[in-house]
Amino acid sequence: MLLGEQDQFLSYNGEVLVFQLSKPKHAEEADEKPMKLCVRRMVFNRDTKLFVQKSSGAFSMGTSHSKIEMICCSCTTDSRTGIILPCILMKKKKRNSIKYFLLLLHSSNQFEPSFYFKLDYELKEDIRLFSGPSLLWRHANKLFYISSNTCVVQSAPVHLSCVVWTGEIVGEGTVVLGKRAACLPETEDPDGFSVSDRAIWGSEFFGYAIQSQKFLSGACFMPHAYSRVVSSVHVCRSERLRKQLRISLVAITHKNQLVWFQNGAPKGVCELPYEKPCSVTPALTSSRDLLFAVSFASGNSCVVQRRDSLQVASKWQKVKCVLVDDFIGSGSEQLLLLFKDDSDTDVLSTFKITDLGEVNYASDINYKHDVPAAEGLQENGLLTVRALETRLQAGWTSVRELQQHLGLQRRVILESCRALIDLVEERTHILPNSKEVKCRRSLLNSAKPFVEGLVSLWDDVENPPDSLSKETSSASEVPEHFTEELWQRVVGDSLVVGVKLTESFYLSLSDVSLSLVMDQDFSSIPPIIKCQSKIIKLNKAFSALAVSSNQIEPPPKKMKLDLHSKNDLRKEFPKRSSRIQLDGAKTVTAVTSLSPLLAFHHVCCVVLLHARKQNHQNDGLQQSKKITVLCGKILLSLEDISNGRYSIKMLRDNSYCTGSMEDILAVLSVSVRFSFQIVSCDCTLTPVSSWLLGEMECTPFKECQDNIFCHKAGNVRGTIFNWALRNPFEGVLTIFCRNLTVLFQCLHSLTRVLPPSCSVKLLRSGSKQVLTEQLSLALEKEMLTLKNSLFLKETKAGNSLTWGNESGKKINNAPLASLLDTEEGVQQFRKKLQKEREESVQSMNQTLNGALYQTTALKIAEAQISSDMIVWRLA
Amino acid sequence: PERGCLRAWAAQSQALVGRWTTARCGGETRRACRQLRDELRELLRRIRGLPAALPALPLELTVLYNSLLFTVGASDSAIKGEAEEIRQGLLRVLEACGACGQDLGTEELWEKVLQEVTVEELQAPLHRLGALQAAWWLAASQLGSVAGLFQLLSTAEDPRRAQCSEGQNKLLSLIKAWRVPPEGASLPLVQSAKDLKEILCTAAAFLQGLQELEAGNFPTALSLLQEAAGGFCSKNILAQIHTCLGCCAQRMGKPQTALQQLKRALQVDFQCLPALSHVAAVYHDLGEIDAELQALTLLYEALGKSPPAAASSSPCFLMRAELLVHTPVLTSLLRRRHPSEVKYLLAQRCLQDGRVADAVEHYLDFLSLLQDGLQQQVPLDGSSALPRIPEVFLEAASALEQAGRHQDAITVCEEVISRTTDLIPRVLRVEERLEQPESSLPGAELAGGLLSQKKESLCCLAWRAAGYLLQGWAWAKLGKSKEAVTQFSRCLSDLLRVLLHGSGIKQTENLQPEVEVLQKIRLLSLLGRGTQFLELGRNKEALLDFQHSLQISPGDPAAASYLVQALWELNRKQEAAAQWQKFSQSCPAEDGQQQGQGRPLPLYLVSCLQQAVFPHSEALARSIQDYLGTAAQDT
Repeated sequence: MLLGEQDQFLSYNGEVLVFQLSKPKHAEEADEKPMKLCVRRMVFNRDTKLFVQKSSGAFSMGTSHSKIEMICCSCTTDSRTGIILPCILMKKKKRNSIKYFLLLLHSSNQFEPSFYFKLDYELKEDIRLFSGPSLLWRHANKLFYISSNTCVVQSAPVHLSCVVWTGEIVGEGTVVLGKRAACLPETEDPDGFSVSDRAIWGSEFFGYAIQSQKFLSGACFMPHAYSRVVSSVHVCRSERLRKQLRISLVAITHKNQLVWFQNGAPKGVCELPYEKPCSVTPALTSSRDLLFAVSFASGNSCVVQRRDSLQVASKWQKVKCVLVDDFIGSGSEQLLLLFKDDSDTDVLSTFKITDLGEVNYASDINYKHDVPAAEGLQENGLLTVRALETRLQAGWTSVRELQQHLGLQRRVILESCRALIDLVEERTHILPNSKEVKCRRSLLNSAKPFVEGLVSLWDDVENPPDSLSKETSSASEVPEHFTEELWQRVVGDSLVVGVKLTESFYLSLSDVSLSLVMDQDFSSIPPIIKCQSKIIKLNKAFSALAVSSNQIEPPPKKMKLDLHSKNDLRKEFPKRSSRIQLDGAKTVTAVTSLSPLLAFHHVCCVVLLHARKQNHQNDGLQQSKKITVLCGKILLSLEDISNGRYSIKMLRDNSYCTGSMEDILAVLSVSVRFSFQIVSCDCTLTPVSSWLLGEMECTPFKECQDNIFCHKAGNVRGTIFNWALRNPFEGVLTIFCRNLTVLFQCLHSLTRVLPPSCSVKLLRSGSKQVLTEQLSLALEKEMLTLKNSLFLKETKAGNSLTWGNESGKKINNAPLASLLDTEEGVQQFRKKLQKEREESVQSMNQTLNGALYQTTALKIAEAQISSDMIVWRLA
Repeated sequence: PERGCLRAWAAQSQALVGRWTTARCGGETRRACRQLRDELRELLRRIRGLPAALPALPLELTVLYNSLLFTVGASDSAIKGEAEEIRQGLLRVLEACGACGQDLGTEELWEKVLQEVTVEELQAPLHRLGALQAAWWLAASQLGSVAGLFQLLSTAEDPRRAQCSEGQNKLLSLIKAWRVPPEGASLPLVQSAKDLKEILCTAAAFLQGLQELEAGNFPTALSLLQEAAGGFCSKNILAQIHTCLGCCAQRMGKPQTALQQLKRALQVDFQCLPALSHVAAVYHDLGEIDAELQALTLLYEALGKSPPAAASSSPCFLMRAELLVHTPVLTSLLRRRHPSEVKYLLAQRCLQDGRVADAVEHYLDFLSLLQDGLQQQVPLDGSSALPRIPEVFLEAASALEQAGRHQDAITVCEEVISRTTDLIPRVLRVEERLEQPESSLPGAELAGGLLSQKKESLCCLAWRAAGYLLQGWAWAKLGKSKEAVTQFSRCLSDLLRVLLHGSGIKQTENLQPEVEVLQKIRLLSLLGRGTQFLELGRNKEALLDFQHSLQISPGDPAAASYLVQALWELNRKQEAAAQWQKFSQSCPAEDGQQQGQGRPLPLYLVSCLQQAVFPHSEALARSIQDYLGTAAQDT
């Protein structure tokens, strides 16, 4: 018998049932010959590896002029016995009505008509057979069903666009999963992501339980969004957990995806290799893998495997149908692929049985070479080896790096030890082979010049700009014009009084502060006003310009032949390196709370400047005396303040901020100052400046462009920043802000812009460089104090033995050897030794005047405290 | 209360970005990056599994943006090819708006999307995606497309901002004019669009700078590269930019500026060793040999100590400027010199400068490097500084010879001689003007092949002959005249294998360089043998050799002087005097001519040339003048 297009295939208990409708061969015969429905039971023979016919049966349709067709077949439960039986839906077309009837097939190959019904239209859409046996279909967006029990066509009260699945759900009986246009019960506010799927995609799922005639929520199957794309569904498992329906299902979509859902949420997605998937069937294979066989409208087929993720495991073309069952009788399921075959061969001649594991039978396999498909395995192995190799290599590289590092460390330690030994043995330590040192230093990225000829590659440490000029002037008298200006400003609730000092005068002072004293006599209150003094330096300098193409070539750097000539060079151009030009004047400000003063309506204050004046002495030790100078008077009245006479005016003018120098100084002095060192280990720090100019809406002051003023509306407005880049990867950001809240706001905003590898460190005061300098000075001072105190002790203790004499008596090493040759010499030597010992004992017992000791100890302690303070700040 | 897909996706996207933020702070970035990339792709696949919908599109485009960034970050190599994903994203936008553009090119697609889609919520995600597209185009050097895109992005917002001020780079000002859309908390990004913009600026400036550098517009290149150096980038790339700036300044004839820039490059990243080799080149141009040698020494040591490909530290940024800039110019500028190459350069520069002892050390180091394994040690591509290996051997021999290690020189030469023995044909016919294969003729290619083979044979011959020549001079120095004569004779007999064809053999200018070298070797060999004959007292043979050498190089001062001396020794004083007079008259003119004409000799012949200079010219001149004086008195 030839295989017709109309044949239907069904797998049942490991058998393949082939339904065929015997057709009249010629048109003339059609009238006489009766139509027959034949079924053939085919079984796979594991010995011959072929399908053989086990038995067959036939059902006579009777002769008629009507056209008979098979619509669909399925295995459904017979409600009378509970046995699952194959059934087939037949159609018989008569003059103006169409008769449909359902046949059940028993194991004896006998067909039993179950029920029939007549319609005046053709069944076309979503025809499903289910337990009963029952049948449902969709017509004109309505759902109809009929079962063998009732034999009456019923309809469900629902408008639907499509049925995607029909089957049993625990506790609900037969459920139809359908799609329909979304009906939005409640008005939702379409804000953010709370918009529901139904509102966005405009369609939804619904479940309809046929027996109980009630609706189920579609959301426990899938999100409603998928109702726009899902074409077919297979529910793999449904269970009830605390009355909650939990469903696992697989769906295929128009977007060529296979999606795995659990409890209504997508758990895995797989892109399908072909267009228009039409059905999906799961199979549980021997390797405990869940496979999904997907067939496409084009006649292609593929299998998706579910392991860690969903993956297309295999695909075939020209497939007539895919059946899932245990065809070989191994206890687990396999896929049976029936291929389209143009040749006139018998039924089930071109097939393939596979579970993508060990089982693999096909009609065209030559079983002689029955070797397991190890190619994939081999490829996997190769990939693994490759990955391992890479890891090994990476490990090796890092080990090498570590070794190099260790080697370097060891060499440094060795060298240090050698130097130490040399030091102890009073030998001059000779550095190792200069070549070696050179490169070692350079690799350590030392800042020191390492090779004479390449000196210009590394800059010398720049002179601190002010250290030189500081020493130059040492006027001991108070000059006549020591103040340039006296001004006052009102910032918020504070009064700021500023005194601008001439530079030469300022340089001779230390510990400068201001105090305000009330000029009027209010006997009830003390005349001195509590205020806080600050010294503010503002650089008018502009940042160094970048080299431009038309800039002239810099002069070649001179070769530095040795240390001496280097010093000469430095003397020659002492200030070449200092780029910063100092503003001619310094301003001392005093900040005090304004409101208490306003209580007096009119206030007149005297401004006094306190400072220590330094006198340079020859021994380098600086002694100072306290001075107090009258700077002038200020007048303050409520009227002036109301008129805004002293208020701050900061205006935004194009890309600059204009404000008088006094305004800027006033704002700076009332602000809290924080400096942060920002170091990036990998990226340049350009985000900081773009943050300042962009997000913070800052503009630089026209008068001092290093400082920039924040115009951003809100709390942070009025904050002043100073961003000084030391190199592209390091800079210091100084923030002058009103209060800590503003500071935290700024920092929070900053951290979002900074590269993640950045480290931000609060500098307690000043930069690291300044602090180190201070530390060295403090240590020097400490040493000097110690030395001086010792000297004091010697002179004042009145001891006859002085250290100076002793040093002259030191034994000369050279004649020592000759001295020890003779007995007399030894004696002499012994005597000397004895004497020395006595002296040292005596020197230990020196006495000291108590008052002197007190002052000395105090001085030493002070010096130590100051250096400790700096160390603490540095840490 | 059902959880909508949109909310689920948003939550997942947010969680993934959050995971990245935490992973970035702790080490494991690379692995996290790969994992997150896969998960974001999965999320995107899920989103794309549903029809495009306007409310979901901002999220979808943001997920796309993040997933592309992870793709970039995880691959860790330069971006290549077309961003197909971005195209898909744009098509989804059109799909949601009910339009289609399947058959449009990516540029046109962008134009359509930016002009037709006016939905407010989509503007920010679209702009961010635009920045990514620009990155892809930059990496493909499609600067025109980038400019076009930013023009669209700017006009979409504010047409007045797109104006370009005079003198500024158009592309850069377009990128800078782009206003970065603000980042919303609900759609977190793994790298902000602001970062992206800065990176694009840096990369665009760098790329254009390199293009201008290649085109020879150095001032433009310089300003563009400077712009790039001020931009946001990593240490690594900043060092590269400074190196390029240095090269640019060097080509503009500003060596000091170049040095400054290269120094900056090294300060930024000492692993940027190409900068060091450029430093050496600058010093070379400046003629500061000490500095050059020190730079090369340093380079050699640095190359030896750092592993060639330092494992890049885990990136904290997904998109980086270095992923966008990869042009052939940059690779050639940043070519990493091979240690053996640097060693050779050291040796060669020492020898050229006459630092013989150092040269010997370096040559010996180099030869031992060769012994460690030729293939691994020596780069053989075109841009290598290395000459052919036999020449290096000969140079080494020459250095050894000059250092007084004659025996060693002889051994090294022996190596060259023995290796080339089998490569030389018995007879080598050389047409005079070899290098003119008529390309129009059918057999041109075959002829070309034959030619190169012939050239190769000529080279081998020259090396072998030079080996004998150096040996001859070495033996002469050792005072073993007989051995010296033998080697010189071998050299001469080897040279006889070359048969020169063609009309004007005497016209040296027309000879190709290989032949010229052979002639020089011959001259030096004849001179050498002549002097040894003189030593041995075989004055007649010496005379013959000197006469031959004068034939090869008429007016050669050394040959002429030796000829006079030979005649003198043979007691043919009158002839000697005549020759001397003739020579001393023509001498200065000839000298000048020879200086001007000659191609530079191979380095390995320089020592022989020095040795061949006639040593006793003063004494000879005096004795001849005495003779002439007495002869004049006699008459």
